Amino acid sequence: MKKLKFTDLLITIMIGVVFGILMKFWDDLYTVVKPILPVARQLIYGMWFMVGPFAFLLIRKPGTALIASVAGASLSAFAGHGLEVLMYGFAQGLAAELLFAAFRYKRYSIVVAGLAGVCSCLASFTLDLFYGYAALETWALVVKYGLRTISAFIFTGVFAVLIVRALEATGVTNLIRPVDKDEYSMLDR
Amino acid sequence: MLAWFTPKRETWLFEVNPALKFMVFFALLLIALFNQNLSFAVWQAVLYSVLFYGFTGYSIKKLALLSIPLAISFLSSAGTMVLFGKGSNVLWQWGLIKISEESIQHALLLGSKSLSFGFVGFTFLLTVQPVLFFYAMMQQFGLPSKYAYSFIASFRLIPAVTEELQIRRNALKVRNIHFSRGIKGVYERLQMYTVPLFAQSIRRAQRIAVAMEAKQYQMGAARTYYYPTHFSRMDIVFTTVMAGGLVGTILLAF
Repeated sequence: MKKLKFTDLLITIMIGVVFGILMKFWDDLYTVVKPILPVARQLIYGMWFMVGPFAFLLIRKPGTALIASVAGASLSAFAGHGLEVLMYGFAQGLAAELLFAAFRYKRYSIVVAGLAGVCSCLASFTLDLFYGYAALETWALVVKYGLRTISAFIFTGVFAVLIVRALEATGVTNLIRPVDKDEYSMLDR
Repeated sequence: MLAWFTPKRETWLFEVNPALKFMVFFALLLIALFNQNLSFAVWQAVLYSVLFYGFTGYSIKKLALLSIPLAISFLSSAGTMVLFGKGSNVLWQWGLIKISEESIQHALLLGSKSLSFGFVGFTFLLTVQPVLFFYAMMQQFGLPSKYAYSFIASFRLIPAVTEELQIRRNALKVRNIHFSRGIKGVYERLQMYTVPLFAQSIRRAQRIAVAMEAKQYQMGAARTYYYPTHFSRMDIVFTTVMAGGLVGTILLAF
């Protein structure tokens, strides 16, 4: 199994921290969409599940989803969002990590990444059950978490994959991705 | 901004080992998270409010200012729950909005929990230095140094990243970029901001890692620390007080 080198680890944590900063601004950005508030809020909620899958898609090594998620959450915690975000960050990252592990860390498609987001969403729902956020009327529960699941899929699947592709085009991913056997063999020719 | 976070006086909470403080607070909050008993939740919020208002050593004005987000989070989480929470003993109904006895109870439980989280979170933040927290995690709790130093390095880069974000925002404004409406606009916005930001951060993180390794930083090697942290008598006092407080709230609640 490809292990994390120190460079990978530092980059993973950096990604988590940058996501933490983005999430802080994300909150401000979307106060603009207030009129349709409840629905819009749930639809952009996927941003909070994006960090783990995004880091994995970028670095493609085991452990990155969980570490990046915890890093993002600890930035949020230090930025004053409270220590509970650490619990959520851990649970969400772990869920995404387990899903990628189930595919032996070999699938980077929109569907798999999106499913990782949905798993994160499920994990946060489980914590919400204990916290008490989920004691809603059935219709409200379905609307809230239904929209959130859709949003999770769009953000962690579609958006994360597209942004990682855009980053690949810039060439930075060459710094971190392990070199393929094919590429070595190309040198021999 | 950082000058704002200097207390009027350094209370005993400042002397507690930062990593131990985190562990104890985290354990207490796990109890708060999984607890489903209303009066226990309320008493916990009261206990942590004493900690926050009484022992952080900050002036009343600052504490009052910090209370605003706490009040907002209480009202927003409890408010939604009162209006849309499940329940059968209906007190008042209007369209989709239904207030019942159960929904009020759930709202109070949820609100007390979010207050507990807020009080403890702020108490921790106000009385801890982030860098020392990571050093104590390494020295007293065996956190591998590769994680701690990666965190510290990344945290040090926060100002650079926020500045870059600001520059990007201005650049987009100068170029008069307009985003589409709806979900496509969300993606456009996300891509416009994140791609340059991540490209730059990845390069920077990679350079730092290479530089550290060039200076012979080795993962897992035995090492000494620039800031030594210790356990002290205050840690016993702190743990005893918090345990006593927890027992007290249990006695009051049940």
